[in-house]
Amino acid sequence: MFRLARRSVLAHKLRLTLTAIAIVLGVAFVSGTYVFTDSIRASFEDLFGDVNANVDLYVRGTTEFGTLAGDIDEEIVAAVAAVPGVDLAVPSVEGIAQLVDANGDPIGGTGPPTLGFSYLPEGEAQSPLTTSAGRPPNADGEVMIDAFSAEANEFAVGDVLPVILPIGTEDFEIVGIATFGDADNLLGATLAIFEFETAQRVFGLDGKVSSVSINIDAGADLLTTQAGIAEVLPERVEVVTSDTETEDVLAEVDEGLGFINTILLVIAGVAVFVGAFIIQNTFRIIVAQRTRELAMLRAVGATGRQVTGMVAIEAFIVSLVASLIGVGVGILFAQGIKGAFGAFGFGLPGGPLTIQPRTIVVGLAVGVVVTLVSALIPARKAARVPPVAALRDVQRPTKGLGRRALVGAGVTGIGVVLLAVGLIADVDNALALVGFGALVGFVGVSILAPLVARVFARYVGSPLPRFFGITGRLAQENAMRRPRRTAATASALMIGVALVSVLAVFSASAKAGVAKVFEEDFETDLQIRNAAFADPRQAGLPPALTDDIRALDETGAVARVRVGEYRLGEERPTEFLLGVDGALDDVVNLDLVEGSYEDFTTGTALVFEDEAVDEGLGVGDTYVAEVPSGEVLDLPIVGVFAGDGLGVPLLVTLDTYESSIAFNLDRFVFIQAADGVAQDQLRAAVDAVAESYPSADVTNTQELISDIEAQIDGLLNLLIVLLGFAIVIALLGIVNTLVLSISERQREIGLLRAVGMERRQVKRMIRWEAVLIAVFGGVLGNVVGVLLGIAVVLAVGQGLSLAIPNGQLITYLVAAAIGGVLAAILPARRGAKTNVLEAISYE
Amino acid sequence: MTTPTAAARVEGATKVYGEGDAAVTALDDITVSFEQGKFTAIMGPSGSGKSTLLHCIAGLDDLTSGSAFIGDQRLGDLSEKALTLLRREKVGFIFQAFNLIPTLDAAENITLPIDIAGEDPDGAWFDEVVERVGLDDRLTHRPTELSGGQQQRVAAARALVSRPAIVFADEPSGNLDSVSGAELLGFMRRAVDEFGQTIVMVTHDPNAAAYADRIVFLADGRHDGEMLDPTADQVFEHLKAMGG
Repeated sequence: MFRLARRSVLAHKLRLTLTAIAIVLGVAFVSGTYVFTDSIRASFEDLFGDVNANVDLYVRGTTEFGTLAGDIDEEIVAAVAAVPGVDLAVPSVEGIAQLVDANGDPIGGTGPPTLGFSYLPEGEAQSPLTTSAGRPPNADGEVMIDAFSAEANEFAVGDVLPVILPIGTEDFEIVGIATFGDADNLLGATLAIFEFETAQRVFGLDGKVSSVSINIDAGADLLTTQAGIAEVLPERVEVVTSDTETEDVLAEVDEGLGFINTILLVIAGVAVFVGAFIIQNTFRIIVAQRTRELAMLRAVGATGRQVTGMVAIEAFIVSLVASLIGVGVGILFAQGIKGAFGAFGFGLPGGPLTIQPRTIVVGLAVGVVVTLVSALIPARKAARVPPVAALRDVQRPTKGLGRRALVGAGVTGIGVVLLAVGLIADVDNALALVGFGALVGFVGVSILAPLVARVFARYVGSPLPRFFGITGRLAQENAMRRPRRTAATASALMIGVALVSVLAVFSASAKAGVAKVFEEDFETDLQIRNAAFADPRQAGLPPALTDDIRALDETGAVARVRVGEYRLGEERPTEFLLGVDGALDDVVNLDLVEGSYEDFTTGTALVFEDEAVDEGLGVGDTYVAEVPSGEVLDLPIVGVFAGDGLGVPLLVTLDTYESSIAFNLDRFVFIQAADGVAQDQLRAAVDAVAESYPSADVTNTQELISDIEAQIDGLLNLLIVLLGFAIVIALLGIVNTLVLSISERQREIGLLRAVGMERRQVKRMIRWEAVLIAVFGGVLGNVVGVLLGIAVVLAVGQGLSLAIPNGQLITYLVAAAIGGVLAAILPARRGAKTNVLEAISYE
Repeated sequence: MTTPTAAARVEGATKVYGEGDAAVTALDDITVSFEQGKFTAIMGPSGSGKSTLLHCIAGLDDLTSGSAFIGDQRLGDLSEKALTLLRREKVGFIFQAFNLIPTLDAAENITLPIDIAGEDPDGAWFDEVVERVGLDDRLTHRPTELSGGQQQRVAAARALVSRPAIVFADEPSGNLDSVSGAELLGFMRRAVDEFGQTIVMVTHDPNAAAYADRIVFLADGRHDGEMLDPTADQVFEHLKAMGG
């Protein structure tokens, strides 16, 4: 049987090639993702190993969760230095510093952090930095920057460089250029290095430090010294070994990478899932076409089990070969992504790609298992071929549509229930449940699809005969003659289109939500925010900006918000809070249902209505929030607000925020004009101030809405590009089905050619068949995607306002149709080349 | 034999498959013409080249040397596209099997060549042909709903409905039982007698050949005698003699 299976693979090389491509692409995506993230992980590991290599112990603020460590009082440095066994204790000050290029635009800020830190000559031996040009800074007004930023922006020693800092934007003279370990920069982060006291000043950390790097005396015991230091430290300051520091940084890296990894793997999963449809369809067609051969095997004594086994072995051979190629392609793929990241300024440290055994094992397992599972149904069907089919054409009865409808509806129903539970109920792994529900739903719909394929081709295909006569009529007929095949092929495309449609509905709803919030809940004339779309914990506006704006005569109420993280307990999820100052209730419709804004003072809290209800709290109760440093804040609730414009459950005053959270950049400044000041007057005044803050983006409400809409669209497009991979695989499925169908219809095409059909007519016929299949998949995808999107939007609720982007959905349909035309190129060419004589000659 | 009334003819037709040692000569210098308005049968044992000859005259295959003509048009001079158009306009086909497009109903199959050409069928002629083949009540049926004999009659109607200059039939009754076969051949005979249709048919069945006005015998790719106004017995005897 094995030999027969092997022979069969070789004999059907061509038709299996396209199946193999589907497997190769899916596996490549999976293994490429692993290689890519593993390689980055390894690079980070090397890098931070190097960074911390020359330090024994770190004194730092505690971080219980989140990303921000607290600051430390500067006096601690002396206390630590005095501990027995401590040789050297060098304080460091860190903050966010964004460089400004020659055009006045801020550099970076959308992805990797824009880091700034202090330099002290006594720390030279500990530093991971290598000065590659000039010298380190030793006075205020001097800065050293990373080699990548210098090169990319053609900065040189001696140039004057504006830097955006918490205290505002200041000019510095570049006195030196540094590399970080082996790399020109720290994985894309830009670096600005200042003299120590300057760093304290510009980061607003006078009298504070971020950490202390310690070397112990030769011969001193590490743990003893560590214990000694711990004794002199106050609360929420800790001392850790450099290994722990490295591990903690890596844990943070892992969190970020894990997120990227998950997104990429989910999309890879979609690609593999789509591939599974194609594999199943291909094997089903192949089994159907080989009915005679399989029956002959049965006639000469092969058992049904042997026939199934043969098909399975065939699938195994194909999948193994394809998966091996896939893993190889994945590695190249990872190399390519790495190169692309480099080109975009994410200077990843050099070093070889990391190929873990896990990557190869998972890649092969995914390819082989998915193929075998997909081929299982066709393989079992092969076993049911009766021996008599070898002797005559046996038209096996198609299974009852009733049963199909029942099974399909059942499976779809299970998917819907899983989805609903994931979306509505409060369960762990809700997202995984939603994903799985969607998956099951797709399978269900694909089972139901053949029931509507015929009707679809009849009605949607009806213009074809009108415009293309018999060619169009044949295309229409061909598209619906094998509803199962059409449906299975279209289903693969459906998945991609559905996911894209979900995203489109979601982003349209998000956009509508944003517009609604800003139009209805905000009463601001202007807003200022960070120009770049960035992590609110890693970028923001210098607080000095708000002060300057408030100083303007043209402005009335000016409120600002700063974003922070908190949680209600160790087991609770991290939430966002806002630190606010100014007359927030003037610029935002808070809609207080309880309490009063007057009472909102230092140490108190305003809580969102839903949160108050969930926690069973009201005015007079205490809201207990833990901030990242581990400090627990007991906040008396002075008001409950129902306006959901701000989108967070907790508001505290800026004083409260600053005393507990070590982040000093603002997220938003909301501005109202002073009485009697015209809009353009206000705008001119605010713009003039913002001039000296290059990262500040001043907008009126309409501009803000369209800016945010553009950001949402950008994100949507990125995801669509990634999902495009699955769509390409689905289009390959159309190619595959058409090639197989056409080889099956050779005689028919031969006859058409004999009675006078021109080659271009044959091509047209095949092309329109492909378009019908593709549009069928597109319409299914649109319908399923919109329903799914509506469910998601309704389930998420807050901040979203349901909207159906009809234009976009139609664009996807047109794109699907064009995809169909492209998919038809190869099959149409093959069909047109059909040798009339061979096709019609009777054996 | 080359006469001005020939609907189709070949001159010195030679067809060689393969090269060198593996070369097989399917047609060996055949010159024959097919009169207008006549029913000609081509007969010969298996491998005698009769189907190859039909394919070459019908423009489905090309000759290694020599020329094939439909009317005055030399097929070797035509491009692939021109050949396709020639087949569409001047030639009708009836094959042994797989004669019909399964997704089209009987009426659509009959008008297929006209539809492909994007022309309108001649309604009266269509009705006449359909009536002659006795398919009036089967027009909306698909091929799978028709018997083998009915399918071949649809194919015959299709071959006639575009009023081709010549109809080529390759073992048209080969897959039919004797009653259906006789019906089909009777219809073809009447098409020649009543409409003046020219038909060239390949067969190895003496009973089928007896419907023809003339039989061209082939053996080993060579023209091997002819017979006019044959009867089945004569044909049978002749074949026996050839075989001996």
